[in-house]
Amino acid sequence: MEFNRHISRRLHEEHEATLALWGRVEATRARDAGLLSQAAAALAHEVERHFVFEETELFPRLAAGGEGDIAALLAEEHATIRAAAKRFIALAREGRTDAEARALALELAERLFAHVQKEEMSLLPALEELVDEAADLELTGSYST
Amino acid sequence: MFANVARSRLLPMSVPFRYFGAAAAFQVAAWALLAAFSGEILAFGIGLGPVFAALHLVTLGVLAMSAIGATLQLLPVATRQPVRALWAVKLLWWLLVPGVVLFAWAGATYRPLALGPATMLVVLALLIYSVLLARNLWEARGMKAVVAHGWAALGCLLALAAMGFLLVGRYEHGWAIDHLALRKAHLVLATFGFMGLLAAGLSGFLLPMLALAPPPPKRWTYAVLSLSVVGILLGSFGFLLPGAATGLAAAVLHVAAMERSLRARLRPALGPSFVLVRVSWACLIASLVLAMLDFPGGPLLFGVLLVPGWLLTFLLGVLQRIVPFLGSVHAFTAAGGTPLVSALTPAPLLGLHGALHLAALGGLALGIVTRNALLVHAGTVAGLAASVAFAAFFVFVVVRIRHGIQPPHQPAPA
Repeated sequence: MEFNRHISRRLHEEHEATLALWGRVEATRARDAGLLSQAAAALAHEVERHFVFEETELFPRLAAGGEGDIAALLAEEHATIRAAAKRFIALAREGRTDAEARALALELAERLFAHVQKEEMSLLPALEELVDEAADLELTGSYST
Repeated sequence: MFANVARSRLLPMSVPFRYFGAAAAFQVAAWALLAAFSGEILAFGIGLGPVFAALHLVTLGVLAMSAIGATLQLLPVATRQPVRALWAVKLLWWLLVPGVVLFAWAGATYRPLALGPATMLVVLALLIYSVLLARNLWEARGMKAVVAHGWAALGCLLALAAMGFLLVGRYEHGWAIDHLALRKAHLVLATFGFMGLLAAGLSGFLLPMLALAPPPPKRWTYAVLSLSVVGILLGSFGFLLPGAATGLAAAVLHVAAMERSLRARLRPALGPSFVLVRVSWACLIASLVLAMLDFPGGPLLFGVLLVPGWLLTFLLGVLQRIVPFLGSVHAFTAAGGTPLVSALTPAPLLGLHGALHLAALGGLALGIVTRNALLVHAGTVAGLAASVAFAAFFVFVVVRIRHGIQPPHQPAPA
């Protein structure tokens, strides 16, 4: 899908980067220690910035636009991913690449794929309508700082 | 049985799942009928009987049933419009299911008088669906290509329902109509028209979503739609050769556009369901090549490639993915969060289902080409086993959701 809003395009690009990274994690069956460390660092950043921005700025707009149930579903998934991410990042900081760390990495890969699928399918197309030009600039500016 | 989730554009799980469940059951019934009367397949031409009943169990009971369930759930996501009359969606199911049962029974037992009430039920159900579909498409925002395919499919559905009504009138009351011409138009509108256009339209939205790939270019999508509509019109009016040639061009362009999109996917593993999707595309192209060559191997081979080969195989491939996906969306629990899709995907069972289904297609096609009744029978038995495996998969998903899912220790590969 082509996005006209800056904020939708920005989030879409970040989704693509997430999918590319976690696609490699899945393709290597989470056996590459360097890749797991890279994935943990990227995930920490994503949970801090991308998730928080969506929860504070976008999901309320989605709910106000009559899509409250989809916003709730996406927020539920954030909570699940955040909990798994916390455990994975802790294991990665310990340098663990054992079966537990690998299983968690694969679980996260699947959760992130499914979550991005839903956001690309529902959140970003909805933003194209819910956000006008001024709000788009404001949101993009707020996300960039 | 199911949690009463009401997520704006997401229907309660019981709604799409009642359609998928009925489709799984009708598929078992269709293959069981074919296996029991496989001796009649090679002689099947015109008229009622068990093969006629099995064909309509597949087209109405499996294909239309699943298409209705899937579109009522997926179109609102694409069009950003919720289904506004849940009662109508439920009423539709309650009309369509007994309608299909009665139609199949009347057809299988040579009771043309019972076809009338059965057709009334089915046509009424399809009219309700048409209203729901039209309303959703009318208010649609976004995904214009999917919406355009939806309008074209709706046009075909209305024409095909009218023709089905006329055909039953001939069986029941001996109406003087050009039966053969009407039957051919009915076939073209049902398969390439209603089901085919819905499949092509939703493919452009659904398959990229499942594969995490970009959608096909809009120009290609509209070219496919335009060529398809021209081909369907030509075929419906009896111009089979130009209709098949135009349809073939549309099919090749559609497959090329989808493969181009899939090549750019961000998740390397596509999974075994896409094997079924690709086999279905091969069957579509092969069926149109046969039609262009004036049906070498007879119309029966064309029919096998068209209905179980293209439409059923495509549908099963897609259902292998969207049943667990929708299940996971609805199976959120405070303790376990949203379950993994892989926890609802029994990979060995689905692998078995795919292998048996492909064996069924191979057996049927080879048996028809060689006029070997034993091979045809083996194909139907494999189809029956495949349909049972698919029904078991459906039950597995429902039972796992009903009894809760623990997070798996090791997610399965996609």
